[in-house]
Order: sequence, then C-alpha cells, then structure tokens
Amino acid sequence: MAKSFDGLSRRDFLKFCAGAAAAFGLSDLFTSEMIAEALAAAAKKPPLIWLEGQDCAGCTISLISVENPSPASLILDKISVRYHETIMAASGHIAEKAREEAVKEGGYVLVVEGSIPSADDRFCMVGGHSFRRIVKETAEKAAAIIAVGACAAFGGIPRGTPTKGVPLSTILPGKTIIKLPTCPVHMDHLMGTIIYFLVTHKAPPLDKLGRPLMYYGMTVHENCRRHAHFDEGEFLSDWNDPKQRDWCLVEKGCKGPEAYSDCPIRRWNNGINFCIDAGAPCQGCSEPEFYDRHTPLYAAGPVTERILAKRAAGLIPRKEDA
Amino acid sequence: MGKRITIDPITRIEGHLKIEVEVENGKVKDAWSSGTMARGFEALLLGKDPRDASYVTSRFCGVCFSVHQMASVRALDAAFGAQVPWGGILLRNLVMGAEYIYDHLVHFYHLSALDYLDIMAIAKYTGKDPELSKVKEKVVGLVQRGDTFPLTPRYEPDEFSVKDPDVVTTAVKHYLDALKMQIKAKNMGVIFGGRAPHYQSIVVGGFTQYPDINQVARFRSMLDELAAFVNEVYIPDVVAFGTGPLLPLAKAGIGGGHRNYLSYGSFELDEAGQKLLFKPGVVVGVKGTEGLTVRPFQHEKITESVRYSWYKNDTPRHPYEGAQVFDLERRDAYSFVKAPRYDETPMEVGPLARGVVDRDPMLLGLMNDYGVKPGAVARHAARAIETKKVVEAMYHWCDELTAAMTKPGFKIHDTDHWQPPAQGEGAGFFEPPRGALGHWIRIKDHKIANYQAVVPSTWNASPRDERGLRGQYEESLIGVPVPDPENPINVVRVIRSFDPCLACAIHLIDPRTNQIRKFLVE
Repeated sequence: MAKSFDGLSRRDFLKFCAGAAAAFGLSDLFTSEMIAEALAAAAKKPPLIWLEGQDCAGCTISLISVENPSPASLILDKISVRYHETIMAASGHIAEKAREEAVKEGGYVLVVEGSIPSADDRFCMVGGHSFRRIVKETAEKAAAIIAVGACAAFGGIPRGTPTKGVPLSTILPGKTIIKLPTCPVHMDHLMGTIIYFLVTHKAPPLDKLGRPLMYYGMTVHENCRRHAHFDEGEFLSDWNDPKQRDWCLVEKGCKGPEAYSDCPIRRWNNGINFCIDAGAPCQGCSEPEFYDRHTPLYAAGPVTERILAKRAAGLIPRKEDA
Repeated sequence: MGKRITIDPITRIEGHLKIEVEVENGKVKDAWSSGTMARGFEALLLGKDPRDASYVTSRFCGVCFSVHQMASVRALDAAFGAQVPWGGILLRNLVMGAEYIYDHLVHFYHLSALDYLDIMAIAKYTGKDPELSKVKEKVVGLVQRGDTFPLTPRYEPDEFSVKDPDVVTTAVKHYLDALKMQIKAKNMGVIFGGRAPHYQSIVVGGFTQYPDINQVARFRSMLDELAAFVNEVYIPDVVAFGTGPLLPLAKAGIGGGHRNYLSYGSFELDEAGQKLLFKPGVVVGVKGTEGLTVRPFQHEKITESVRYSWYKNDTPRHPYEGAQVFDLERRDAYSFVKAPRYDETPMEVGPLARGVVDRDPMLLGLMNDYGVKPGAVARHAARAIETKKVVEAMYHWCDELTAAMTKPGFKIHDTDHWQPPAQGEGAGFFEPPRGALGHWIRIKDHKIANYQAVVPSTWNASPRDERGLRGQYEESLIGVPVPDPENPINVVRVIRSFDPCLACAIHLIDPRTNQIRKFLVE
C-alpha cells in the first residue's frame, strides 16, 4: 500500500478503517485491513452525488454527526463529493455544471434525501428543472442508489400532504435502491452502508423492503432495555415519577414492537442516547407506515391496540424467552 | 435595462432558494427572492391529535432542528392550559442552547466561510506550525490528486477575499475543528434531547427525560469545551475577519436592507418567566447604534400577504385566520414564500435583530468602535456574540437544574394537562437561531382544526407585498457591488449572512380544500 493516501499518513488511514469497522457494525464482516486495502486500491476517490428534494436536510446534518471516523475524513479523504447543495462551495450554474459533469462520467454513489412531489412537479424545482427530472437523469449512470431518511425511502411525512411526496422507488421502478429509513437517517447506518459499498462494490444484504439486514434485522422492542417492564405490564404514565423512569412507553404511543432498527443497541449520536432512553416513545420512523399511519404519536391508538392484543395473545416473546 | 443574473440553487443554505438580480453599472439595482420547494405540512395535521404537531413540525427543518418543536409545544402548552414546571423549562432551555451553539458554528464555518476565503492560498503557507502544516498537507494532497471537490468549483475570490496564507490556513484548521465542535454540541444536547437532529424529549407540558446528576455533570463538562471554543476561536475569528479584511464591507453596511428589526424574545431566566435572555421588541429604521427606540411586540400586528406568492389571491391575514390555496398559475407570483409584515412593515429577524432589540452592549460597542453599519458583516458578529450569551446562560441553567433536582417534588412535566382539550387555541413564540418564530393552533373536538406557522426565513426571504415593498433579502441586495456578472460572490455573501432556511419558510397549504391545480413543467 502507498505510504500516504490523499495526504493522510498511513497511521491516520488505518485509524479511519478501524474506527469505521467498529463504529458501523462492520467488524463482523470485514477486518480494518480489508477496508484499508479496498479503499487504497481505488485509483481515485469514488464520486458521490447527493440530491435533496422535499427534505429538511436533517439527513445531511445526521451525516455530519459521527465522531469517529470524522465526517471530514469521509467527505474530504475517502469520497469525492461532486454535488451536495448543503456542503459544496459552488452555487447556481457552477454547481449545476458540476453535477452534469459528474453524471457524464458515471459510476458514482447517488444519495437522495427527501421525497419527490407527485401532485405537481413545480413543488420542487432546482436550477430551473423539476426535481423528478434531475433524479431520473442522475440515476441513469449511478453505481449505487441510496434513499436516506423516511421521505426518500417510503415517502415519510410529505406523503400525507397535498403535494403527495413519493419515495425514490416510485420514480425509479426496477432499480435496486438501498433504503435507509428513520427520521432522520441514522448516521451510522449511512456511513456504514457507504463504506460497505466502497469495499465490496455491492449493496449489503437487504430485507424485503430494501433495508440492510445488518441494521434493520430486529425490532426495537427485541433489544429494548424496558422489555421486562412491557412483560410485567409496567407502563409509564407520569414522567415526573422517578420510580417509573425506565418503565415501558407503550401507553405513551411507543411503536417499538413494530419497528425494525437496531437503535436500542447502537443508540444515536455516538451512543449517547436514543428516543426510548430519553423517555420518548419510539415512533416507528423506520417503517413504511410512518407518519400518517402511526398517528396518534403520543397516545394509545390503533398501533398500540394491535401491540397490546398481540401481547395478550402471547405473540410477543417475553424477555427471558427471547 | 441592466443585466439579469439568476443564481439557482443558492447552496450552503437549508432548502431550495433562487435569487435573481438586475445589475446596472456594477451594482444590484433590483432583486427577487424565490422559494422553489413546497411540502404542505399543515393540511397533514388537520384532524390529528394535537400532540402530534410538535413532532411533525420539527421536520420543517433538520438544520435548525427542534426549533419548531419548541414553538409548537409553546402553542400547545397555551391551548392545553399546561403550566410547564421549572425543571421542564430548564431542560428545554438547555437542549435548545446546545442547538444554538451547533447551529451558529455550522453557519459561520461550514456554510459561510468559503465565501470569504481563498482556500488555495494554503499552498503558499510557509510557517512551521505542525497543526497548520497538516492542514496544508491535506489540501495540497487533494490538489495533487486533481480532486478538490467539494471545495471547488466556486465563485472566484475577489478583493474582499482573505488571501493571506497564514490566515487562510488557520481558518481552514478552524473549519475542521468546528466540524468536531458542532458534533460535540449535538452530543451535549442529546444527553437530554434523546437524539439529534430532531430531539425527542420536548413534548406539550414539559419534557420526557427525567434527569440524573451524572447527566448534568456530563453536560457541563461538554459545555466547558464548547465555551472555550466559542470564546477563544469563534469570536476572535469573527472579530478578526470583520475588522480586518471585511472592514470595508462592514463599514459600508453592505446587505443592510430595510433595517427594521423584530424579536419575540426567548429563554426564561427565572421560574416566573419575568426575565428573558433575549427581550421581545421592535425597532424600525435603524441608522446607527445611537438612540434606538424599542417598541413592544404585539402579535396582533402580524399579517401575511400572498400578493406575489403561489397561493390563491387573498387579503393579508393574521396567522389565526391564515388559509392559503396553492395556485401555481398566477402570472406575477414568484415564490412559495409568503410575505409577513409587522404593522405593514417588512422586518428582519435573527441574531442582528435580537442584538439591536436588546441593545446588546458588546455588539453595539464593536459596531461603534469600528464604524460597522448593520449589514452582512454585522450579522456574523451578532451571531457570534449571542452564542457567548447563550453559553453563559447555559451555566446558569445547569446550576438552576441541579438546585431544582434536589428539592422534593421536582417536576419536569405537567401531567394534569396531557390530554388534549375539547376546544382551545394557542400561540407559541420562540427565538430560534434564525430569528422570530411563531406557531398558532386551533383545537376543535380534541383534534387540530387549524395550524399555522410564521417562520424566520419567511420574514427574511419574503417576496414583495401589496404595497410593492421588497422583502428583506431583496432589499438587502440593492446596491451590492457585482463588478463581474459571471462572479456574483457578493450576492451570495449577503444572502448567506441571513442563514437562510427555506424548508422552514414554505410549509403551508389550504387546510380546508387541499386544492392544487395540475400542471407539469417538462
């Protein structure tokens, strides 16, 4: 391997690879040496185009939230960010030209954040073109397509609005799309999936909805630390009561038993906390039903009734049986 | 007739913004600001459980995340009759304080700085500082490999760009350091907020995370690191830039615009809510730093015009009465952003408005000492100075929280008012980093009957109104020097100084009809 890679010392480089393997749950799949070799073997940095449609840029902010390896080490050193509206220096026609040139060259990772309006293309225009057209053109020569966040993966919140936001899969039928839902995308899921692709040039194994099994293989409930309280029927009713601090949130609207994500193990923001540990119910943002079929968010609604019925029927395994 | 220049998309902002300017004799003669993306959140909320509103409206924006959650829960608190306990108020203040630090650092270093730096000057760095040499090695490495994305392409540096290799290299090092610091600020907020972006623990009536003393200690130690960065790096950088290479722009007040300022006030400093960190008020027609007359803020004076927006024509209305139907066929409309006015006057909101309304001694002192007029550079200065103010208040809130936690009956939530009322209405105000934010809710039969938000970037990015008065972005571009129409770098400098957030600004739809006419662009 070359002594330096993009001006990085070999030590820094291996640190990145080891950090990536550990932080993103890839260490069962690759050693840090495998990651290092795959990245060093590339003649040039793999290009990335990131498009934003009906979005809130929350997934972009999630991207710049991983402590180790740092976002700079990915954005500047490992990939070539050819287009990303929130990050790039260029504006206006200079920015649009950069995207067009990258598209001509092909072979890039395409990340899409936000939904696409289906009621009328004019609800999302960039550089004078409809977002739908930009996505279609850019998808043509992409080496991999990743839909980040609930909006791009399943339509998310905009699906229920009069602009009728649709997911990426609706306007790119027949294409393999790696879906990374949750609102916003989990920073580790995104970084890990990009690195998985850079190492293998393949999509990771996906579930039937298109989500990587390595992150979305189990329900939130299966790994929840409040699981035993669910089994015992200890449901939090008052956030002021220290005794109830760790009780089950199902009566506050928790969708954990129906939501597939490794949030309780991985937690969020470098392992500091996550919704349920903060006393807030899981809203099932990893699921296609989010948001409009998960309402009410903070009360026992149809989802809760379904969960409690399953519990009563013994269809949700108890902690000790799991 | 001058030359018309279109910049679309304006990048390094949140959302989709197009700016058009007419340039004559090297200066902007006229300007148009257009928001080019809409979602329509309010219609989605109709008929839903009112408690959903804070979670859903948080998704207006993921950059200034959770600010809508705050305005929303305040509107809900009012409508539910909830009395948020002091513990709940303190926890809300602490997580939003963390959001301020993250947001202002990202704005200055990651969204704005590239407009002022000639990055390639780093190659000329000849100093021996090991840290700066590493930065040089990194950037030179990118150049040698022929791949400097996303730092290039760019608008070409001009006479106001910083080209001194030592200064540029230091600034880029701070860009990289600030990238770490903004993560730390989010991590700190997440101790109580659950996750970021989009905190989870802010709900109507208070907060969901019952804190323990170790969490407060951890929060405080992260705050120490951030405070050091704000005081020793961020503020000195802004002052050095503003009073050094950018002083001509600062003294000329480039990007000043209407110079009318509005703040709703925010952040309780005592349990009774009598003392606020940022005071509410209105200041109109500011000329200098002397004799500022601050008038009281009255929300009844807010109206929104749709004269030049893609909504069915209507007279200006107060947000409680707001109801807009998308109309994409209107010939003279040019934006999804509506035009809010206060007492029929266009206003600027944000850090500079807060600083002026507060008559902040540090900001006004700096402006006086260097002859800085309200404009783009003053906006950056106001942002840095108020970050310090927030950091100091956060220490006070940590102390208050620690004291409150040891008292018997410590509370974080008003559980008696958790169930939605049959009827009710409420207005909620908050000052997010980008400026004055208001949410209005009406509840009928325990469900949402109307929901409206007037957000900071709607004030700043608005199009013209009934009287033809330009919005603040538009007005602030008048007279801005554009010597080379191919390189309108001053236009983006002025626009970015506001920290635009367009996804926030556009979110409305008619709650009654949901009508949209069909028309395809391609």
